[in-house]
Amino acid sequence: MSTEPPVDPAALREEVKSKYRDVARNPHGEFHFHTGRRLAKRLGYDDAVVGRMPDAAVESFAGVANPFALQALAQGEKVVDVGSGAGFDCFIAAQQVGPDGRVVGIDMLDEMLHKARASAQQMGLANAEFRAGLIEEMPIEDGWADVVISNGVINLCADKKKAFEEIWRVLRPGGRLQFADIANGKPVPASAIQNIDLWTA
Amino acid sequence: MLEEIGFVDVRVGAPCDTFGGASGEKNARVFEVYGYPFLARKPT
Repeated sequence: MSTEPPVDPAALREEVKSKYRDVARNPHGEFHFHTGRRLAKRLGYDDAVVGRMPDAAVESFAGVANPFALQALAQGEKVVDVGSGAGFDCFIAAQQVGPDGRVVGIDMLDEMLHKARASAQQMGLANAEFRAGLIEEMPIEDGWADVVISNGVINLCADKKKAFEEIWRVLRPGGRLQFADIANGKPVPASAIQNIDLWTA
Repeated sequence: MLEEIGFVDVRVGAPCDTFGGASGEKNARVFEVYGYPFLARKPT
């Protein structure tokens, strides 16, 4: 089996940046996916928890499922959110791990990082911080994380093996990967996989 | 791929109709695309 990415990773990254920059700037715009509070409800997030968040913390949420559905985080855990966007899952995580825990969100878009930092400050979350970076090269030391979370991000990486290997690097032995992502039940034709425009359409 | 890298205890949760009612629903239905929560552990 070929280990070559099906599309050029750098070109796909630029396509993804363009799409999600729009989600940051214009969260109520027309996208092929749901966003914000409506999406959080659809994916089964706790209404009471989401309801306490300010609009700016929720409106650019564009996940695909709930990474906390199979297991909640424990008090005091150290968490990395890969592709944290405007911070929605980080804010959920920060509440679950409590003041003795720590959450680091990583995103490649300045627009998302700016929104996330502003919302964390507005919510008074001292245990959450946001760093610029890529999933393939995270600004996190080896074995730091008890848990890595992610939501709708790995499917947008051309080289998934490299992404999972980097997650492995930052997890401590015994640590958990809790991620949400899409999967298809019917095969997608090779011609479609090689069409970079369809990855974010 | 998760197990190939070394993760163990891999679990997949119930599907979510992520794209239902959104403009991407048509393509999602063609390829039966749903969102899922995944859980995996790095061995000690």
